[in-house]
Amino acid sequence: MDRFFDAVFLGLSSGAIYALVALGLVVVFRGTGHLNFAAGEMATFSAYIVWVVTTWTLFGDSALPLWLATIGGMVFGFALGAATEVFIVSPLSKKSPLAVFVALIAILLGINAIDSGRWGPPPSEEIDSLFPNDPDDFVRLFGAVWRWEDIGTLIVTLAASALLFLLFAKTKIGLAMRAVASNPDSSKLVGVPTKLVLAGSWGLSGALAALAGVMVAGSQAQVTPTMMFTIFVYASAAATLGGLDSPIGAVVGGLSIGVVENLAAEFAPGWVGQEMKLSVALLCIFVVLFVKPSGLFGTEKVERV
Amino acid sequence: MPVKVHWGSPGHWAIRLVWLAATIAVVVYIPTRTQPGTINDMTTALELAAVAMALNLVMGYGGLISLGHSAYFGLGAYTMAVLVDHYGWTQGWTLYIAAVFGFVVGCLTSLPALRLKGVYLALTSIALAVLFPQLVKWQKLEWLTDGARGIDDLQYDEIPVWPILGELDGRRGRAVWMYWLAVIVAVLSYLVCRGIVKSRVGRSLVAIRDNETAAAVMGVNRARTQTIVYGLSAAMTAVAGALFGIGLNGVNPDLRYFTLIGSITFVVIMVIGGGATLWGPIVGAFLYVLVESRTRKWGADSSGVVGALFGWLNSSPATLILAVVFIVLMFVAPFGIVGLLKRLAAKVIVIVPNPAGTRSNVPPVEEGLDPSIDEPFLSASPEETP
Repeated sequence: MDRFFDAVFLGLSSGAIYALVALGLVVVFRGTGHLNFAAGEMATFSAYIVWVVTTWTLFGDSALPLWLATIGGMVFGFALGAATEVFIVSPLSKKSPLAVFVALIAILLGINAIDSGRWGPPPSEEIDSLFPNDPDDFVRLFGAVWRWEDIGTLIVTLAASALLFLLFAKTKIGLAMRAVASNPDSSKLVGVPTKLVLAGSWGLSGALAALAGVMVAGSQAQVTPTMMFTIFVYASAAATLGGLDSPIGAVVGGLSIGVVENLAAEFAPGWVGQEMKLSVALLCIFVVLFVKPSGLFGTEKVERV
Repeated sequence: MPVKVHWGSPGHWAIRLVWLAATIAVVVYIPTRTQPGTINDMTTALELAAVAMALNLVMGYGGLISLGHSAYFGLGAYTMAVLVDHYGWTQGWTLYIAAVFGFVVGCLTSLPALRLKGVYLALTSIALAVLFPQLVKWQKLEWLTDGARGIDDLQYDEIPVWPILGELDGRRGRAVWMYWLAVIVAVLSYLVCRGIVKSRVGRSLVAIRDNETAAAVMGVNRARTQTIVYGLSAAMTAVAGALFGIGLNGVNPDLRYFTLIGSITFVVIMVIGGGATLWGPIVGAFLYVLVESRTRKWGADSSGVVGALFGWLNSSPATLILAVVFIVLMFVAPFGIVGLLKRLAAKVIVIVPNPAGTRSNVPPVEEGLDPSIDEPFLSASPEETP
């Protein structure tokens, strides 16, 4: 049973990262109907910015604390996302959806080129974790090792989704976001500042990505230009699994993908192992989508003929 | 006022002949007058053009987003490499097997497209692109694919001496030989695409893309049409992939065209050239390779404008420049370069189509020569990508 709980918990904590990025994807998809292909790279870029900020010194020689730098990184991620919407996505989506796709890919390539050009070559950009992560920072529950770092990641994700839920359900901004998602033209007519709301959703997506980026970088103790590639694939898979327009779906999707792949890797080492984890996750999604084409929690699109 | 030219009139034929002559001139110019490096780049461009044309069938005309074509490309290359290395085949014959494999796998992987729509479909096709390199590296398949090492140093036969093509010795000889093979594959791909687009299958495909329900009501068999087109597209991609593998004389799972990056590249090429146009993918592929091969040479220590603009990068600014070019292009020509040129050309020359059912009344059309729609640059209304 130890192995079981170990795998489950490991899965939950890696799934939390997927869920966080997936939440960002869902927020954007609900608003504009586009998939933010550049989300992973935005996360990496923001993580680099956080790293840069932590190297600044404050009042003499004390460095800026990481949590403060992380907030700075999230603000940067927000600005990056919002700028993408205002300057690229919004003007292009009037012309052609495929053009938006190519532009987002171009942003992905461009940010990656900047990251690897500016910071890619050694020495590596070392960064601390947001949570205690010394070898003995863990508790034992159900006989499994629960590392503080993983617990922290999980808590941050759950907190972020709770806040997002409150935002959507209880605030005026959230109401505006839901209105724009459900019918942009009508909401414009009743006076919702559609452009601002859309820029806000992209910004939110960027900020969530930035948070995920810092946690990923922290867990591997350094920022690398390609660290979010696979995570982006997982996150998009998680968002698809949960249904692209459902924030709850993104969280459930992310966590369950994390758990399933880790269980598979743990209990079928010969067939799955570490290399084939992603494939297992993707195959699961394949099966789920075959049964439910719009994901677990997604709304089915009904078309009037 | 634009000049009006009727379908199949002598003027129309003159335009077509000039266009054909210009194309042939470029195709012949490249291997006879340029350096082997350039010839190799152009070979890659032709292979990418073939893939982009195949992708265009599915995505441009079919409206089914596919980010999984790198898997078919890799499948073709691996089919070639495994047959040559493990089973001692001659490289040329493996192209046919690659086509067959591509077709079968393409038909099978088109099944999700029957059930999923839009972004969901795009995301499942990403799964295909991600799965392929992982499957190739999978330890259970190592006996076949040689895992992460890949298969290299393939045996190949001496190039047959064919004097028309000029000197065929050494490095240049092999480059020229590969170039002509790529020309053949690209021309065949073009003809297949053209055939499909102008046939019943192609019309059905566009009808499904534009309004699925209406198409079904009109008697279009959606499942059959989409599956066949997916299969053909995958087969064409696999052949191009096999040719790519022959050119490299080996394969390995981390080659960028076999991964998700490859799929993305194919889509970008198709879109910047012009989706749902016959010439778009070709133009896109050449543009991509030209920009890429030019900027690749600029190192981190470039001087002049490049150095001033990108001096803060520690590596070559090629990718960054490419990204900027893509974004600018999408603003200038959201329907691709060919889409833009078609719109501009429509201001100068308009090809007036014949009213339905009057083909036989138009004098210069000869027996068996179908007046065709959408000659490059010249049709009256550019088709739009979905």
